Amino acid sequence: MPALSPTMTEGNIASWKVKEGDSFSAGDVLLEIETDKASMDVEAQDDGIVAKIIQNDGAKGVKVGSRIGVLAESGDDLSSLEIPPEEESSTPAKPARTDRPSPQSELSSGLDKTESSPSAAEAPPSSKPNADADAGGAADTASAKRSGADESSASKSSGGRAHKQKYPLYPSVEHLLHENGLSEADADKIPASGPNGRLLKGDVLAYMGRIERNYSAEQSKRITSMGHLDLSNIKLAAPRKAEPKATRQAVQEAPMAEPDLEVAMPVSFAAVIANQKRIQDTLGIFLPISTFIARASELANDDLPKSKTAKPTSEELFNAVLGLDKVSSKVARGHFVPQNTSIPSASLSANLSTSAKKSSSSKSDIIDLLTSKRPTSPKASKAMFVPGGAADATNVFSVSVPKGDAKRAQVFLERIKRVLEADPGRLVL
Amino acid sequence: MFKNLVPRATSRSFLRPLGRANNTFRASPSSFYIVDRSQLRRGYATEAEEKDLVIIGGGVAGYVAAIKAGQEGLKVACIEKRGALGGTCLNVGCIPSKSLLNNSHLYHQILHDTKNRGIDVGEVKLNLEQMMKAKDTSVAGLTKGVEFLFKKNNVEYIKGTGAFADEHTIAVNLVDGGETTVRGKNIIIATGSEATPFPGLTIDEKKVITSTGAIALKTVPKKMVVIGGGIIGLEMASVWCRLGADVTIVEFLGQIGGPGMDAEISKNMQKILTKQGLKFKLNTKVTKGEDSGEDVKIHVEAAKGGKEETLDADVVLVAIGRRPYTAGLGLENIGLETDERGRLVIDQEYRTKLPHIRVIGDCTFGPMLAHKAEEEAVAAIEFITKNYGHVNYNAIPSVMYTHPEVAWVGQNEAELKAAGIKYKVGSFPFTANSRAKTNLDTDGMVKFLADAETDRILGIHIIGANAGEMIAEGVLALEYGASTEDVGRTSHAHPTLAEAFKEAAMATYGKAIHY
Repeated sequence: MPALSPTMTEGNIASWKVKEGDSFSAGDVLLEIETDKASMDVEAQDDGIVAKIIQNDGAKGVKVGSRIGVLAESGDDLSSLEIPPEEESSTPAKPARTDRPSPQSELSSGLDKTESSPSAAEAPPSSKPNADADAGGAADTASAKRSGADESSASKSSGGRAHKQKYPLYPSVEHLLHENGLSEADADKIPASGPNGRLLKGDVLAYMGRIERNYSAEQSKRITSMGHLDLSNIKLAAPRKAEPKATRQAVQEAPMAEPDLEVAMPVSFAAVIANQKRIQDTLGIFLPISTFIARASELANDDLPKSKTAKPTSEELFNAVLGLDKVSSKVARGHFVPQNTSIPSASLSANLSTSAKKSSSSKSDIIDLLTSKRPTSPKASKAMFVPGGAADATNVFSVSVPKGDAKRAQVFLERIKRVLEADPGRLVL
Repeated sequence: MFKNLVPRATSRSFLRPLGRANNTFRASPSSFYIVDRSQLRRGYATEAEEKDLVIIGGGVAGYVAAIKAGQEGLKVACIEKRGALGGTCLNVGCIPSKSLLNNSHLYHQILHDTKNRGIDVGEVKLNLEQMMKAKDTSVAGLTKGVEFLFKKNNVEYIKGTGAFADEHTIAVNLVDGGETTVRGKNIIIATGSEATPFPGLTIDEKKVITSTGAIALKTVPKKMVVIGGGIIGLEMASVWCRLGADVTIVEFLGQIGGPGMDAEISKNMQKILTKQGLKFKLNTKVTKGEDSGEDVKIHVEAAKGGKEETLDADVVLVAIGRRPYTAGLGLENIGLETDERGRLVIDQEYRTKLPHIRVIGDCTFGPMLAHKAEEEAVAAIEFITKNYGHVNYNAIPSVMYTHPEVAWVGQNEAELKAAGIKYKVGSFPFTANSRAKTNLDTDGMVKFLADAETDRILGIHIIGANAGEMIAEGVLALEYGASTEDVGRTSHAHPTLAEAFKEAAMATYGKAIHY
């Protein structure tokens, strides 16, 4: 029976919310306990299984510290568990409410440790005995045990747990302890609600009963919640209103982003497809046409004539001042990505390719993969490379460029055409 | 030339392993591999390699995130269109305004406050051009410094305007002309905020200015009207008032400093600033502005209705707040939502509804503060790399850099009253502090608000010459959940202004020694 308040000596079990054999996870309510003042839920601190319920629903006047049930770790085999005998102790308040008897740790170490050193309750979860206390349930267990140990009634705090204070104590805490005849070791027994489990002045005041016992923990909870962004009650902007505004501003902000000129050039894929076939026949590797195109555009982007819209860099201006502009490079790398549109010739194969297109666009990606379809934009979705079929079709490559860059785009497309039509095999081998 | 390149291409074997190192952006055979792999993602409309993280915006949120990501070993690119890193804060906000505040304060002090200190000064003249140059030097040094940090931490800096092409691809309109695209596994939006314009006034940054124009005026205005008595408004008003302008501040609310400032502090501060020559019109609404003539006419009336008045000014500063800036970002292309005030909607881990896209800084929720953005930047990167990040929004300080400065952290009295929390107050004036006395600079006070039961510090509010530095101790105390007693029992050097901090804490849980 956990001590829910400093003055509590016995309590009644109102009801268990779990049955023997039930598994529960951290935060689940295990049972409800009534005292003469109030009733309270006891929450699980860790995941586990209910091994045995000893005091059933409605049990009255259960002494603080006496065993009311046994919890096991999740995964423990209940049938093979030995439940340790309840220790008879000289102290009236018997600590162990919930020992988790795991075959390895029960009796030998588990109980001893949890009881003799309260701090263990908070130590790393890797060590078995601590898991006991944790699974056993929260601050309640810990403080109950402590209350047994030092005969003063422990306080239950919903927010904080008592544990070893690893950091130097705050000056106010140290003062309070000494003023009240407590040792620094006692600090480890006081439920701490501060950041990272630090013990606050309020915690000590609550422990000594100077202020309401839950106050400090409640306050910590409130302050912790203020530490997060308040994302409640978000009122979304009406999408209608927002969109035109956004696009209008986009246009104002970045007129350059809107391409205003489209340069196009027909390219035959005959050579590419012949090469593709040859590679597949000899090496057994299928290379999608997109690979050819990507490599061709990579090449074609190299050393294009400079964009008229590009501002000269400081280095170029400097060179111009020095009269070196004649020798400095007149070229710059482009960033064109060609859009491809296939115009089917009026043949049967073209019809086939269109139907293949239709089925593929509605079907799974595997066909896209095989046909290297690239549906990134409405325009591009028209582009279809069907091996064989597309060979007859005329493919039109196009790039959208701002005014003044048309020449550059033209050079780019000419190069792509040359590479793809002349000797595409060299692109990939 | 072109033909020469073809042989080079032949060396690019398709059978090369995928993991081949390649760190040059753009000229990348590796992009082909992305193309090959990306077919499952449909389409290859990119030529750039994929980054671990792409950040849109090189302001405080963006550049800190970029550096942090670089330190964590992510392949990261940061897109900024301004042409200089650091965003509003470094280029046209916090930093340049602090330069002007500091130097105008010096000027003002030399002009008015040297005789009784025993310093006789000859003719004092303002050289505004040089003052602006000093400011620009500071700014240039700092932005270049950030650029250096990018290099040091392997952050790729893309100068251009980014817009979402799809959920992973950002099309960039390069500042130097041309376009590129960049793909990111993760994307952080950190596009910041812009000054909210005042309806009816056209901002030309000469006659009608925002904070951006207020740090770059060519001459000292004769008459200046500041619409909005928040932090930005008061700082800029201070600068030009010190340099000789006749400044009137029009504020809709009943107090200066914005709603976050503690009412008692705000009232005290108003008295101090009035003594310095600023004029205030509180509870006053601007009904109309006319900026067509030589001067700007501002029509005002009492907020609750009542007497009307017209103010003439050669310069009007609009400082009514800032709003998120996401225009041109292409949010509609990927369906990201904003709230009514234009803030991008996120969860506690800064994720949008597309979980690989996160948003930090001014363009999302929370106070629009550079240091808040900085905290979020680090936390967002930690969420990406370590699945856990932390920002304590309860311990983010606010500072106003007037003279004296005002700084606070935590809650103010009105907020505590509204939350129904019983609290106690302890304060200590700088008139009782030895260092302030010797400095002949005794305006201000330190004020603690602590829980009546536990003594835990809930808020700290300071007016004082070094309030902005002093508040750091308060933030630390709040972060650690300290009580006023913890601060009061901590040694503070003598004689320092910081002693006032300690004494105010003592006054909260007990009694101050020197007051």
